[in-house]
Amino acid sequence: MPSQINSPLPSGFQLEQYRIEQQLSLGGFSIVYLATDDQQVPVAIKEYLPNSLALRKAGEIEPQITEEHQAAFRYGMKCFFEEGRSLAKLMHPNVVRVLNFFRANGTVYMVMQFERGRTLQDFIHRNKGHIKERFIRGVFTRLLNGLREVHAHKLLHLDIKPSNIYLRNDGTPVLLDFGAARQTLAQDTPMLKPMYTPGFAPPEQFNDRDNLGPWSDIYSVGASMYACLSGSAPQRSDERIKKDLLEPATKRWAGEYSIHMLETIDWCLLINPLERPQSVYALQKALLTRSRHIAPKPPTTLLGKVGTRLRALLRKS
Amino acid sequence: MKFTIYQESRPGCRPNNQDRVAYSYSRESLLMVVADGMGGHLHGEIAAQIATQYLIESFQQAAQPQIRDELMFLSRSLTNAHNAIVDYAYDKRLPDAPRTTIVACLVQNSVAYWAHAGDSRLYLIRRGRTAAQTRDHSRLQLMIDQGLITEDEALHHPARNRIFSCLGGTHSPQVEFSSATPLFANDLIVMCTDGVWGNLEGDEVVDYMAEANILEASPRLLSRAEARGGLTCDNLSIMSMRWHDDYADEQPASISTNTMPLDTITTKMDGFGRGGRQTEGNPLSENEIEAAIKEINQAIKKYSRFDSR
Repeated sequence: MPSQINSPLPSGFQLEQYRIEQQLSLGGFSIVYLATDDQQVPVAIKEYLPNSLALRKAGEIEPQITEEHQAAFRYGMKCFFEEGRSLAKLMHPNVVRVLNFFRANGTVYMVMQFERGRTLQDFIHRNKGHIKERFIRGVFTRLLNGLREVHAHKLLHLDIKPSNIYLRNDGTPVLLDFGAARQTLAQDTPMLKPMYTPGFAPPEQFNDRDNLGPWSDIYSVGASMYACLSGSAPQRSDERIKKDLLEPATKRWAGEYSIHMLETIDWCLLINPLERPQSVYALQKALLTRSRHIAPKPPTTLLGKVGTRLRALLRKS
Repeated sequence: MKFTIYQESRPGCRPNNQDRVAYSYSRESLLMVVADGMGGHLHGEIAAQIATQYLIESFQQAAQPQIRDELMFLSRSLTNAHNAIVDYAYDKRLPDAPRTTIVACLVQNSVAYWAHAGDSRLYLIRRGRTAAQTRDHSRLQLMIDQGLITEDEALHHPARNRIFSCLGGTHSPQVEFSSATPLFANDLIVMCTDGVWGNLEGDEVVDYMAEANILEASPRLLSRAEARGGLTCDNLSIMSMRWHDDYADEQPASISTNTMPLDTITTKMDGFGRGGRQTEGNPLSENEIEAAIKEINQAIKKYSRFDSR
């Protein structure tokens, strides 16, 4: 069955105590709306609506689910509940907050705190190749605080990528979209394949799901940091296994960023899960250790060469 | 004898599987059994298990390596299986004897004989067409035969699951026997429970299976029926067997009994406790949805007390 485009609820639609303002995003699994509650506070509402199983035609409210897809639809609902359960227990400034969960229109809804800002993805696009090390370290150190909380609750995010990292207007990051969290259930239901984003998912997520662990999210964090530098997603990990074309950060940006941060990124992106940082804490520690000096850019001009020689001479004396 | 055979039983959306399938063959004889223990009665799966096990054991004793009188064998072992179920109920002081449908097919000397009670079916498919099919022992089939309703009306009739003949229960079974039916190369026998044919339309069983490789087509047919069954899908079981010429080239995955010792018998039968539904694959019920939402909202309330913002 080909996927279809589901039409969103119309703006102005009253959904329980919330008023739908507009559609924020449309995924294969759900639609996210901007809405306001009865106190006029803006919230984000996520509607469970897998487009391969349920169809809402324009002008209709209740999606149609054929008898044939009922079982799979309910099954996917389980994953949506998983996400709700995971988030409900998490209280962290760097993790999105769930405010309410309810059933309506033959499907289920999750109400989340609405944050003003934009995604890291957006930020990367606008500042392609000009993102400062200070910014990267700042965002990811705080983000890792949130991720540590996630892992402390025995959960894995499994879909960390720049478009799921939200930057508030004050620059602090929020981790969004736990739709993939522990979606291991969905493995044998072909209609609801676990969703991951090529380029950011670790190799074990493709073929070796028994080996998933904190190190898997850490790979995705490394890939997101890599994307901050390169402006695009790194090579897909399932292809890296066959032929690794990913240029190590240490080589590609030598001199532009501290060798220490570049090494940390490469460490996260190792193919062997056991060789990566094994916990968020280990990675955070690495990120927080400020390297004393940034390696100087290798001189390219004759003048530069003379300059370094002179400096070296001065240091000796 | 040379043939390709496939059997599978799935629980559908039910918590347990009351269907049983089994086959057994000696060098010169093959027996296939499909039974559907009746829900609504106590211990349907016990009746199905006793019936299949009894038939297979009788076959193992009688096929040395041939069965002397095929129809007599079927008749006697089905009656004895019925008695075994009734005895079991008596021994265990069950208030009501468990019941099961049955369809059994015996093949030897390239001739097939089958017998059935209830609404589990057997199709003989030859060159893409149904050459023979069992007639369900259901009230509905009687009504169709008498011209009271049409087949299309029967598809959604509320009494479509009512059957008047089965093994076990209070009445002795009315078993229906086929005549001796010669098998030709490439003939296909499909036996299935109502969880399969009840969720498919008209000739779908034939269309799906006719020319296909049964090892691939059978599970596909089950999946299709299972998807159609939706949230209340009944147990589904299938047994399919394609007959080959003795002198035909070796087919992939086919079974040739020509090199078997005279006194050996091979049996494939699952015991109790197999094939039950894993809880993980269970789609949510209404109550479970309500419970999950309640649980999530409680967690939200509980944790938002710590909200400092």
